[in-house]
Amino acid sequence: MAVTLKAEKREDLKKSHTRLIRQQGLVPAVVYGKGKEPKTVAVNSIELLKTVRDEGRNAIISLSVDGDSVDVMLHDYQVEPLRDELIHADFYAVNMSQEIDVEVPIHLEGEAQGSKDGGVLQQPLYNLAVRAKPGNIPEEIVVDVANLQVGESITVSDLSANGDYEITEDEGTTIVSILTPDSGTEEEETDEEQTEPELVDAEKNKEEE
Amino acid sequence: MLMPKRVKYRKQHRGRMTGKAKGGTTVAFGEYGLQALDASWITSRQIEAARIAMTRYMKRGGKVWIKIFPDKPYTAKPLEVRMGSGKGAPEGWVAVVKPGKIMFEIAGVSEEVAREALRLASHKLPIRTKFVKREEIGGEINEG
Repeated sequence: MAVTLKAEKREDLKKSHTRLIRQQGLVPAVVYGKGKEPKTVAVNSIELLKTVRDEGRNAIISLSVDGDSVDVMLHDYQVEPLRDELIHADFYAVNMSQEIDVEVPIHLEGEAQGSKDGGVLQQPLYNLAVRAKPGNIPEEIVVDVANLQVGESITVSDLSANGDYEITEDEGTTIVSILTPDSGTEEEETDEEQTEPELVDAEKNKEEE
Repeated sequence: MLMPKRVKYRKQHRGRMTGKAKGGTTVAFGEYGLQALDASWITSRQIEAARIAMTRYMKRGGKVWIKIFPDKPYTAKPLEVRMGSGKGAPEGWVAVVKPGKIMFEIAGVSEEVAREALRLASHKLPIRTKFVKREEIGGEINEG
């Protein structure tokens, strides 16, 4: 069941007004979708954060704008990196019967056997590309790593197929691997005296001379 | 120590460091990161000192990413030399860091170990820093 989020229409698109909106605890946002006119709106920042935290990044949100209700997904967002404040959000009006491509977070479950044996767990892939109908998008994909030994890895092809969604990520992509621990030799690098790097045109200049 | 292999020109202008970092403001490779809160030049020696501090604390576990590269040469005049007579000789290499930049990232260790390793690394740097985590929107708020 889609959660409801209230939004108010935003007519004044000046920078000064947008700044004012942010000061009031609202986030300027835009709603768009296939065959739909884009609408500029503003939503409550805390309400949006709570909704995404509780329902997941790809949750279907029922956005009510001036009485009209639209099923949307949080398509993109911008965060101020220093203050961690949400500064803008993009909502995508979804067609519930049409498949869409989304990224679903990967959650590792259990402590890997290889990590207990001294290996280093490395996770190169944090989000998995998935194609599904909006109602069937999983909140997260759980990968069990408990039996993973040193030197072993789990790739996308190792994931069990689910009827509700299709994984579009390349099959050979590594999700998680246990590396053998570093020998520690590279740690103490010899503090050699800095030499100047060569110039790109050095040889050419010599020839000219 | 980090420095370019080949360069087009030996000396550069000093430039300005206004504004915030344009890119590299999210944790992209690891799980935890060290974010700059001030603008400064970070020398190759400081980067190396920070790297050693981190890897030494983490012993053999974990992986470290250095997301800044000292590609800017800085020059200095020798001691007791009068002003003038041209620009000094290249002295070292620096990375220009602006507020918001994630300078180092760590993965493969617990949060406590990452926090301590990055704290030790931050003491080798000339700027204020903040510990950040890879978090999606709505997750735990990053704090210093």
